[in-house]
This record gives sequence, structure tokens and C-alpha cells, in this order.
Amino acid sequence: MGKSVAIIGTGQTRHGRRQDVCYPDLVKEAVEAALEDAGITLKDVDGVVLGTMPSMMEGVSSTHFYFAEAMGSVGKPVLKVETCGSTGQSIGHCGFFWASSGMADIVLVVGSEKMSEGDGQATMNTVFDPFFQRTFAAGAPGVFTMQSMEWMYRFKIPEDKGREAAAMISVSNHDNAMDNPHAHIRTRVTMDDVKNARIITYPVRLLDVCPASDGACAVIFASGDKAKKICKKPAWVKGIGFRGEEFFYGESDKAIWMSATEAAKEAYSQAGIKDPLKELDVAEVYNPFTYQEMIFYECFGFCPRGKAPDYVLKGTFKKGGRLPCGPSGGTLCTNPIGATGLIRMAEAALQVTGKAGARQVEGAKLALSHAMGGVDQFNGVTILGSEQ
Amino acid sequence: MRKVAITHVAQSSGAESRESLMDFTYKVNKEILDKAGLKREEVGCIIAGSADIFHSGLSCANAYDWDGIGAFMKEGSRAEESVFSFIYGCMRIMSGRYDTVLVTAIVKGSENPDNDPITCFYGDPFYLRPLGINESSVAAMQMRQYMNRYGVTEEQCAKVAVKNLGNALFNPYAHVKKRVGLEDVMRSRRLYDPLKEMECAPKSDGVVAVLIASEEKAKELTATPAWLKGYGCSMDYFNPGDRDLLNGQLKAAAARAYKMAGIRNPEKNIDVAEICEPYAFQELIWCEQLGFCNEGQGGELIDSGITEMDGSLPVNPSGGVLATNPYPARGLYRVAEAALQIKGQAGEHQVGKKVKTALAHSTHGFGGQCHSVVILSA
Amino acid sequence: MSIEKYKIVEGQVKVTYELALGRTWSHFYDCFKEGKIMGTRCRKCSRVLVPPRSFCPRCFEDMDEWVEVSDEGIIETWVYVNMPFFAQETKIPFISAQIRLDGCDSGFTHIVGGVDMSDLDKVRAAVKLGGRVKAVWSREKKGSIRDIEYFEPVK
Ligand SMILES: [Zn+2]
Repeated sequence: MGKSVAIIGTGQTRHGRRQDVCYPDLVKEAVEAALEDAGITLKDVDGVVLGTMPSMMEGVSSTHFYFAEAMGSVGKPVLKVETCGSTGQSIGHCGFFWASSGMADIVLVVGSEKMSEGDGQATMNTVFDPFFQRTFAAGAPGVFTMQSMEWMYRFKIPEDKGREAAAMISVSNHDNAMDNPHAHIRTRVTMDDVKNARIITYPVRLLDVCPASDGACAVIFASGDKAKKICKKPAWVKGIGFRGEEFFYGESDKAIWMSATEAAKEAYSQAGIKDPLKELDVAEVYNPFTYQEMIFYECFGFCPRGKAPDYVLKGTFKKGGRLPCGPSGGTLCTNPIGATGLIRMAEAALQVTGKAGARQVEGAKLALSHAMGGVDQFNGVTILGSEQ
Repeated sequence: MRKVAITHVAQSSGAESRESLMDFTYKVNKEILDKAGLKREEVGCIIAGSADIFHSGLSCANAYDWDGIGAFMKEGSRAEESVFSFIYGCMRIMSGRYDTVLVTAIVKGSENPDNDPITCFYGDPFYLRPLGINESSVAAMQMRQYMNRYGVTEEQCAKVAVKNLGNALFNPYAHVKKRVGLEDVMRSRRLYDPLKEMECAPKSDGVVAVLIASEEKAKELTATPAWLKGYGCSMDYFNPGDRDLLNGQLKAAAARAYKMAGIRNPEKNIDVAEICEPYAFQELIWCEQLGFCNEGQGGELIDSGITEMDGSLPVNPSGGVLATNPYPARGLYRVAEAALQIKGQAGEHQVGKKVKTALAHSTHGFGGQCHSVVILSA
Repeated sequence: MSIEKYKIVEGQVKVTYELALGRTWSHFYDCFKEGKIMGTRCRKCSRVLVPPRSFCPRCFEDMDEWVEVSDEGIIETWVYVNMPFFAQETKIPFISAQIRLDGCDSGFTHIVGGVDMSDLDKVRAAVKLGGRVKAVWSREKKGSIRDIEYFEPVK
């Protein structure tokens, strides 16, 4: 086997609408924060990995050129890795493999997005093929709504129950974001606020949906030996999984969602996890849509198929519950897409190293982080732990 | 560090294709799996090399690529530049988690806008792009500086196109197949003076797949593995004005690769090189920076014939990027061609000398903002 | 240095493509002109896929057996779209749906029409998961996805 790998530092920008900085400066803000957190300088970095959304979203193509200075990569090897919404997990995985391969000791991984400058939904639509599905596509909300409807129908979840549980997810994520100084949306909402919010794509309402955020995240990976030498409390990479299903939406069953299920299974088997609900202390699930978050709970084995609303209503995934999900406020309150999956990983690292401040889950030792990409096509999962 | 080798190579025909990008991709991937006698399910993981919307009309290119590269429910990823994809695939094997990785690079230039409008979007929206800067215009400025600083002539630069297009006549997978003389190149349109039309790479359709494997697996799969010996990469400053266009990051990238491969005298130790030369004169500059000759001696290098197919250090026997330019895939084409030379499977464009060590180079960005160097050996 | 208002540059980008449908998808749309929906069958897993594929993404084998599927099927899932965005090709509001055509093993994306769109309750009464729908073909067929105007609930 290759070398073990740990995360030795993370950094995030203040996420939100950031017209006070140009795009490279936003990236730099996250990189500087991560270097400071790890207590290293750019000189110590052997390689840099970047990921963002595609050029249509960025307004610039091949952003690794534009960000060369901002991400501290001048004179260094770089890799540019992208898998749509799951980019954040994919670049983290790349950082892991680079350090594990022995080709580098310290790898800086950067994910970023300036959603306020581009058009997220128009970009999403160009992920669909131009010959068949693009004509009738309705961006991310359209797809996620169709999936959620299919899921509720399949498992005979009454509409009211699904609505109630989804609203509860929105309320608890918004509550959690109040504890996170980096979060974009920091306002409390009530169950009634969610249930009466403007309809986006029925039954999904405005407060069921993530915002479009500007933000960047940087995570520093080190080979095990190096990590032990320079970091008091690293977050160890215990397991990683990434799966993709067919391109055409409609070809595979999205109520069961094979890619999400298998990606988690792969990560669990590497981490030696048999009962995730019992063994995991905290999870940062990629949740741009409340309803969809429940499908992930089922795919990740947090509860049986079709039972997520019951578990949600019991408070299983709330702060203080059996398995707190999204103590950061999650994607629902902050979504700079290219950074989002990496933010999940950074938040998981903060939790298992006891550095999560007001949003800390007491005594967290094992955490799941996750991101999803494409038209419900890709899922990436990373398990981090406090022990090697 | 675990050893890694290229075991098999497959590529699409050089001709423009009317197949859909998905089918075009599938054919080459099917071919390489058949060649290796592997089923899709048996491959450890799959890495795509493709660029998004401007190179396909599709955002998040990996989404559409996924089926054709055989990645359904497999561990996989995508890197934008195809040598990035290659080295990422190698890292996955070195990590000990996989024994085989299929790396595929994909593009259909025939469906896309021209290279110049595409590379224009490398520029930032506030400064470079409004000025109309693109890869070709920066290259032309670089060429003028090169000729001026070292006294290299326009004819010497043009000779690279003559050599490479001549080599392409022996490569069944090349795109542009045209016998050209020095006069033809010199008289071709001055699109970005001093750069002439025939000194600029075309845009091509291309799918290239490379199967890489761990030591044990490679020996099982092929009698002629091409081993990865060295890799180096380096990124330069963004604004062309912030750097010396004639002294970029290639030296740093090459130094890393040579150190890893234990190469002290590249001119002697390397038997053949596949170099990324989207603009003819760049082959000369890159050869200098790779240490094939001294600084400013690129003109004499081409005059000497050393880099011809039967020379002592053949450069671009495949015809290079000037003959075939599937932009994001072109780096992996260089790696694949270097591997074929080592395997002795380059067919009519197999170089005359015995190949023990081969170099593959890739660059993209204004004036070569980023360079990667790969060393393979028998 | 004090800045009163941060500057913003507005820009729009337009580039053109000529995207090839290739043999399989060209044939699919040629058949549309005759009012036929064709899929391909995988010899290995025997799934029939629409849009047709030249290869099975799962088995990674050629798929060259053509099968005509019905222009009628059931709604697997649907979404009422009332969200406008740049370069949207269909005018809102519209109902996008996954339709499992009879004789086919994948969902076909199209729109559901012929229902009163004036309010959401009426839409929900007419469009049901698991409900049957049938293609309404346009009179003039050009060999494109629009040759089917929409799918209509079967009464
Ligand atoms: Zn099949």
C-alpha cells in the first residue's frame, strides 16, 4: 500500500456575495488561511491541485492559469481536476493520491467559485446533452425535484410527511449556520417560513434550496510521516469513494441512487465502518436541496430506504441527535459550487480535530464528508478520523 | 514508490469524424481493452482528460465522457490537461490502491470554435481579454523576441513545420497529411506576423487511450512495457508581461523529471522526444530548454538534422502537434507516441535508432504558461 | 485609498458549435420523421435504451439491434418548471418529465402538455406519477426532439 495521508490545515473565505474582491483574490484568501492553519509557508508546498466549475460558470477558461499566483503555484507542479458539483471531493481525492503516491509530501488543494458573477442554472443546463435532454432541462432544481418526487412515490412517503421533514432539515441547517462565521446565509427560519416560501419547482420552495455563493476553500494534505512531524492533530484520511453512473438522466434509478450508495460503501470498507449510524460521529452531507438530503441519508446507510423522513422527524440528524448532519449549516446555507465539496471535507477535518468552534460536535472522532455532481451522476465520499 | 508502466495504446484515426463524441470515444476505449484482453469491469479505475464547454459545447465534460470511457460505476476522475490525467493515473497506481488505470483523452476539434477564440478565454476579463490576446498572438510575440535575441531566422523556424509535416506522412493517425517545402511554409499567410499559417497547429479530432499498470500487472499484460521514469511540471506567472517569454518554466519542469529519472545529459540519454509545438518555432525553444542544445542554438539544431527521423535525437517523429492538434488531448498523444517508440510499435514512423529512453512534453497557456515533462524507458 | 463603489464589468460570450449526432442518433431522428421512436437493445443485458446508444454503458458492448418502442408510456417523475433562466430553450411554465415508454428500460425526457397550466392544483390533478401519457406528434416533422410536441395524459 501507499503512504497514509492526513489533512494538516484548512482555510475558508467568508462566503457570500463578495464583490469586494476579484476572483483571484478570493482564492488567495482561502489559501492564506489554510497555510496559516497548517503553520507552513508556500515554500513547503510540493504541488497544487485546483478545481472549479466549468468555464461557462467562471467566465474564464482553464482557471489554473488565472489563479497561478493566487493559489501559490508559480514554479510548482499543478493538477486541475474537475467533476462538476462533486469537484470539491474529487480534488480532495487527488490531493490524497498525490501525497499517498510518494510524488509529493505536501499538497495544497484549492476549490473556488464566484457564483455571483456567472449564471449557475444556465451553466447546469449545458451539462445536459445538446441533442435530447437540454431542450427540456430546468437546471438543478428541475432535476432534483424530479428525483425527489420519484423517491417519495417509490417508498410511498405521504406528501405532508415529506414536506414536514424537508422543512425541518431547512430549519436545522439554518440554525447551524448561525454558529458558522464562514456561512453565507445566517438567518433563522421557522417551519412556517419554509412551508410558505415561494415555489421554485413544485414541491420545492425557496428555503428548500441553497443560495448561490462566492467562496473558496483550501485544504492541505500531507503524507503520514510528514503530518506527524509538523502537525499536532492531523485529520487522517480513512476512506475515499467516488462513483459515477450513466450520463443520460433516466437510465438509472435515482430513487435508489447507485452512485451515492456505492461511493459510501467503498469509503466505509476502507475505513472499516460497518454501522455508519453508530460509528460515525458527524456527517457533512452535500445538501443543496432539503428533499435530496434525505435520499443521501438512505444511500449512506444512516437509515433504511424510505425511512429518512421518520428519522429526520425524530431529530436523529439534528445538533445533539444521534448523528448530527451539517453542523456547518451545510450546502443549504453556503454553495460556492467548485469549493462546496471541499468545504464539506474541511468541515469534517475541523470536527475530528476539535477545531470547529461553536459548531463543534462534542468529541467527534469519525466524520463523513460528501459531494454530488453532474445531473445526479456523480458522488464522492471521504471519511476522516482523528486516529491514524 | 511503486513502478508504473504503459502497457497499451490506442488512438482514433487522424481524420475528422462525423460520429458523435460519445461513439468516437467508445471505439478507442473498446479497442484498447480488447488489445489488453481486459474487460471494463477488470480495470482498476478510469481517468478522463478533457476540457469543458469551449472544447465540446458541454459543461462538466466528464459527465458526457463517462459512458464512452467505460467508467459506469467505476472509481474515476477527470483532469483538464491530458498529461495531468496521465500522471494522476500513475499516482493512483503508485498509491498501491490500483493495479490498472485507463487514461483517455478526448476532443472533437471539428465541432468546436477555432483555437484562437477558445484560448482567448484564458485571458482575464478585465485586462488581457479586452485586448484580444490569445495563444497565437502571444506566440508571435515570443517568436519575434526569440529571433531578435538569438539571431534565429524565420527560415529555421519554418523548417520545423517542414520536418514535422513530413514525418506525419508516415503516421496513419496524423490529421494533416501534406508534403510541404520550406517555400510553402514561408509563403503561407501571415496570420500573426512573424507567425505564418503553416507554422500554427490545426484543430483536430482525437481520442487517445493509454492503459497503465503496476509492475506485476504490466509484466502480465505485455512483453514491452514502457516504464514511467520521471515526471516534472511547473507553472508560470499568469500575465505574459510578468515573465521572460524566452525563459519560462520548462527548465524547472525538465529538471524535476530528469532528477527523478536520473538523467544527467539529456542530449545523450534521450533517444527520441515528442514535444508539444503548437507553433513551429516553439519546438526550437523547448529543445533548448530541455537541454538538447545550448541556449539560442535551436536554429543550428534544426539545421544540423539531429532532430530528423533518422537523426541522433529525433523530435516529433509522429508529426507532432503541427500535424495533429486535438487540443486538450495533445499531451497524452505525446506520451502515447513516446510509449509506442519504446515498444517498437510506431510502425512506419518508428525511428531508425534503438529507443531505450523517450521524452514526452506537453504545454498549454499563453507562451507556455505551464509545462509537463514525462520520461519513459524500456 | 478609499473605494466608494466596486466596479463590475458586464460581459456576454457567444461561441458556435457544429455538434455531430453520428450514425445512431441520426437514425433515431430520421425515424422520428416517420413518427417512430426507436431504441437499441443490448445483447448482453437485454436492456432497451432510448435515446438509443451505439454501445451499452454497463456492458461496454456494441448495441446494434434496433427496436421500435411505443410512443406511449408512464410518467416516472415530473417537475413543474416556473423558473426562468438565461438561454432556456422551452418557455415557462412547462412540465418536464421522465417517461418510461412501453418496451423501453430507461426514462425518456420530454414535456407533458395538453393540460391546463393556469394553476398548480389543476396541473397536479392531471399529471400523476405512474400516469399514462402518449406522444402528440407535430404535423411537420424535421427530425428533431421537437417533432414530438409533448406527451399528453391518456384519458
Ligand atoms: Zn448491456
